[in-house]
Amino acid sequence: MKKLNILALLVFVAGLVAVFTFDTATTRQIQARVMSLLSPFIHSSAAMEQAATDAVAPQVNPAELKRENDELRVQVERLRIIQQKHNQSIEEIAKLRQLIGFKQAAPFKMTAAKVIRRESSTWWNSLIIDKGSLDGIGTDSPVITSVGLVGKTSTLAPHMTKVILLTDEMCRVSAKVEGTLEQGILAGERAALEVRPELHLRFLSRNANINAGASVYSSGEGGVFPPGLLLGRVKRFENREISGEAIVEPAVDFSTLDYVFVIEMQAAESAPDAQAKSDTSPKP
Amino acid sequence: MLFHPISILLLLLTFMVQEFIPGLEIAQFATLFLPAVFFFSASVAAPFSMMLVLAFITGFIWDARHLPGAVESLAGAADVFGTGADLELGAGSHPLPFGLSIVLFGMLGTLMQGIRPLFKRGRLELPVLMVGVATFLWLFSQYLIITFLRGSLQFPTGVWSKMITDSLLAMLASPLIFLLLYSLARLSSYEIKYEGLRYRFDGR
Repeated sequence: MKKLNILALLVFVAGLVAVFTFDTATTRQIQARVMSLLSPFIHSSAAMEQAATDAVAPQVNPAELKRENDELRVQVERLRIIQQKHNQSIEEIAKLRQLIGFKQAAPFKMTAAKVIRRESSTWWNSLIIDKGSLDGIGTDSPVITSVGLVGKTSTLAPHMTKVILLTDEMCRVSAKVEGTLEQGILAGERAALEVRPELHLRFLSRNANINAGASVYSSGEGGVFPPGLLLGRVKRFENREISGEAIVEPAVDFSTLDYVFVIEMQAAESAPDAQAKSDTSPKP
Repeated sequence: MLFHPISILLLLLTFMVQEFIPGLEIAQFATLFLPAVFFFSASVAAPFSMMLVLAFITGFIWDARHLPGAVESLAGAADVFGTGADLELGAGSHPLPFGLSIVLFGMLGTLMQGIRPLFKRGRLELPVLMVGVATFLWLFSQYLIITFLRGSLQFPTGVWSKMITDSLLAMLASPLIFLLLYSLARLSSYEIKYEGLRYRFDGR
């Protein structure tokens, strides 16, 4: 082996050792920097993809659009009325909680984000949204739609965030089954990169009475995901060696995601402050 | 010697082009991993020392762009999120360590160096096949390491279909990259020689 090659090998190994000794903060910083450097290309590719989709999409009838618009206007009016009643209820609940000295739950802040595109990576199930660290988004924050939980945030760029989907094995949620006392950990399948793969709710009691079709919600035990988010519906229940396992169909169709909401849990505040916050920011 | 700096620039360019390559939904979002394919092809044309430089760059940027965000130390997570946070934050389901791709690319690049004499003679059959094999080995070793870190050996059909489709796409693209490298070598008057890891036996 030539001297130059030996020298190159030594430098390579030294560089490798340096990379392996990076701490988490440095790694995150590097990932964020690379993602922000590539973000113009990610945005351009998403725009091109959108343009191609629009070009092949069938022309929409203006009359049909008008009818749809009218329907949506009626729906918006109906929702405004419901929201007013909802705000009144929240005020009443807050007053009652104050009276009995109930501990105020931490309020949420929701940020709406557009899904830029689904990632095609080696073994990770993720997508990219158009809001990032400068929009107030943090890592490991829950991402939801009106239907249920989508996943959690991962790498952040200034105006872009990678979201690890609920179907990835790395995204694990403490969950409970509706109508039972059963709680377990819901996670995706390894390298299940299909559009809608099955989820596994593990560590349930053996012979638990769980029926197909039962809804699975987040239990909020971990604190990362708030309680009450719909995760999916039980397809079947299987007894394993030590515990039971439910196979769950995800509630969200990950192939049709356009807009999502990122939830930021805020530090618990005093009751009046929290009340003021809840008036301005919607709750899930 | 313009060949080497231009190779590095082209490698960086492939990361930008990669963002425009869509995944195939029917094959578990399999796609053409252009930076990896370019690296495997370039490691046949470049000498050993240059191959290591390319392996480092490819592995580093690949991990920075594609690995899920590193999970923060869980020591203080319980105070912030509660006692179950270690499960939800991902303890026990490690992503791959940052920098692992550098090792994998370095090893596979060394393997690719073995077919330099064929490439020099303009024979592309084996180099093209080897790019497919290297892509498959890269993905397979990543999957095995994930399996080792997370436990429980699982090989669903989808994993095989994804790895095979990715490898086939790599083989389809590699002749174009080889031709590009030939042209680049000709334009920059670079001679592809096989001398990197040759065993020197002087007859005594």
